[in-house]
Amino acid sequence: MQWLDGLIQGILLGGLYAQYALGMALMFGVMRIVNITHGDLMVLLALIGISAAASFTLGPWTTLAILVLIGAFIGYALQRVILNRVVGADPLPSLIATFGLSIALQNAMLQIWSADTRSLPGGEITQASFQIGAMFVGVLPVIVLVTATVLTGGLDAALRFTRFGRALRAAAADVEAAALTGVNPKTVYAASTAIAVAILGFAAVFQSMRATVAPADGPFQLIYAFEAVIIGGMGSIWGAFLGAMVLGISQSIGFRIDPGFGILAGHLVFLIVLAVRPQGILGKG
Amino acid sequence: MSEAVATGHGATVPTPAVRVQRQTVSGIIAMAIGIGVLITIASMPWWASQGLIRNVVELCCYIAVAQMWNLLAGYAGLVSVGQQAFIGVAAYMMFVLAQLWGINPFLAVLLSLIAPAILAVPTYGLLHRLDGPYFAIGTWVVAEVMRLATSTFTYVNAGAGMSLRVMTGYSADERAVGVSLLSALLLLVTIGGSYWLLRSRYGLALTAVRDNPVAAASQGVNVGRLRFLVWIAAAVGTGLAGSIYFLAQLRITPPSAYDPNWANIAIFIVMVGGLGSLEGVLIGALIYFFADRWFGEYGATYLVVLGLLTLFMALFARGGIWGLICKVVDAPWFPTRRILLEDKR
Repeated sequence: MQWLDGLIQGILLGGLYAQYALGMALMFGVMRIVNITHGDLMVLLALIGISAAASFTLGPWTTLAILVLIGAFIGYALQRVILNRVVGADPLPSLIATFGLSIALQNAMLQIWSADTRSLPGGEITQASFQIGAMFVGVLPVIVLVTATVLTGGLDAALRFTRFGRALRAAAADVEAAALTGVNPKTVYAASTAIAVAILGFAAVFQSMRATVAPADGPFQLIYAFEAVIIGGMGSIWGAFLGAMVLGISQSIGFRIDPGFGILAGHLVFLIVLAVRPQGILGKG
Repeated sequence: MSEAVATGHGATVPTPAVRVQRQTVSGIIAMAIGIGVLITIASMPWWASQGLIRNVVELCCYIAVAQMWNLLAGYAGLVSVGQQAFIGVAAYMMFVLAQLWGINPFLAVLLSLIAPAILAVPTYGLLHRLDGPYFAIGTWVVAEVMRLATSTFTYVNAGAGMSLRVMTGYSADERAVGVSLLSALLLLVTIGGSYWLLRSRYGLALTAVRDNPVAAASQGVNVGRLRFLVWIAAAVGTGLAGSIYFLAQLRITPPSAYDPNWANIAIFIVMVGGLGSLEGVLIGALIYFFADRWFGEYGATYLVVLGLLTLFMALFARGGIWGLICKVVDAPWFPTRRILLEDKR
């Protein structure tokens, strides 16, 4: 029973990780760059949300809508001002640039919001749960998982069936050839980063409702997103979702074996996947 | 163009007498200064205060860690943000050898290098499958795994950490001699070793890999093997710095041993000083060291500036400060170029 509970809690936790991982999978698929500030942006959005909700007495869903908009704007600006200058075959400039920005962001947030952990008051919904057999399942984690599934499905469908999705996939396959056929890579890049950070707006609200956020948390969320993407298979949106589930389950089961082993179990599963199936669960080859 | 055509038509063109110039005046002067600096560092116990020795040891560790990162990122094309894994594993090995097994601590520093070398093999085996930027985050995961695993490992006192109590068996003078000699050795191995490596035929191969791995492979360079060897060498060099640093600190805990700040320091030093040059590392390390002393009290604000400066360098001045100097004067301290000179007959 304890293990079944661990499995279910793991899947629910995976719903949150999927929201981190989607944006990373999208950006890496399109631009072959990793944004080291990925986790820090989530924390930034969460802290903005918590402050805004407290100042203007906003409900969690209003906060969510505002954060998604702010996220899209931040993503667009990040791409236009910084990332467009460092996209290229050499991975070093984009890594170093976002690494430097990550240190600056973490410490700026530390100055503004101090090192305290904070959370977003979500009202009754954070406490609500329902019973399946002998187990209690929280309503909020289920909402998180459903949201993650809808986001994944929506993003996957958008990439497959819309004009924008085709442009994005063309740019991902070959930027120069895509540019020849009338796709403006800079627009596509800006849009994909905007979407990636907008999705972090969802993650920010749910993370700060389910648990807490603090300015130094970003790197851990970055690592979870990264592990989910690699476990699932690079370049696959549903892969990132599946990878997030595997990571969530590993941590949840590991935590039940020993409380100090939870996070480590996730890392170890990631390394095992890298050893036996480096292309990931859904990866080709 | 016309000359090239003209020689093409000639029947037998005598091969021009050429020789390769590999050393410059600036290089010889820098070499002399470098040897002087090494002797000065090694002789610190006889003239310097305890505080100065501690500062110089710290500076030497920064230089070594940054140069090892430079070797990876600036030459082998391997960007790592998890070098603290090797610092921590070597330092912990040293504590185990000296404190638990009773080996002479100064000897333990050298013996502890086996740990980063062993760790480097499987990490490369796993991580080299990851694409450029993902390799970097993979190294971070390895460092996190080491930190978390050490925190639960009761043999090394888990999260509470260890103290190097055996050092009380040595007088302050004996400790100063040991640490100073080890620091001089650290610089000799990391800076001198890199200089020697870059001037050897491996240096040519590395430069070729840096400029274009595919073209280097087509010229007969075994890119994978070269990267693997540089990865291990950098792990050992970084580990040596870690062992010496924590020998001077006398105390170790998992968060301090596997502190991600080591990666920040290395990246800042190399990016500000100049990627892909030995001179840049020395300049960057000095800037970081003094900035840390003067502005460290401003805490978070100082780190915001440090981060933004790294970002700025990555965007606008990839060659760093040394790259800017090179545009003005051509006087390398560590010349690694081969200059072809034609002899007059």
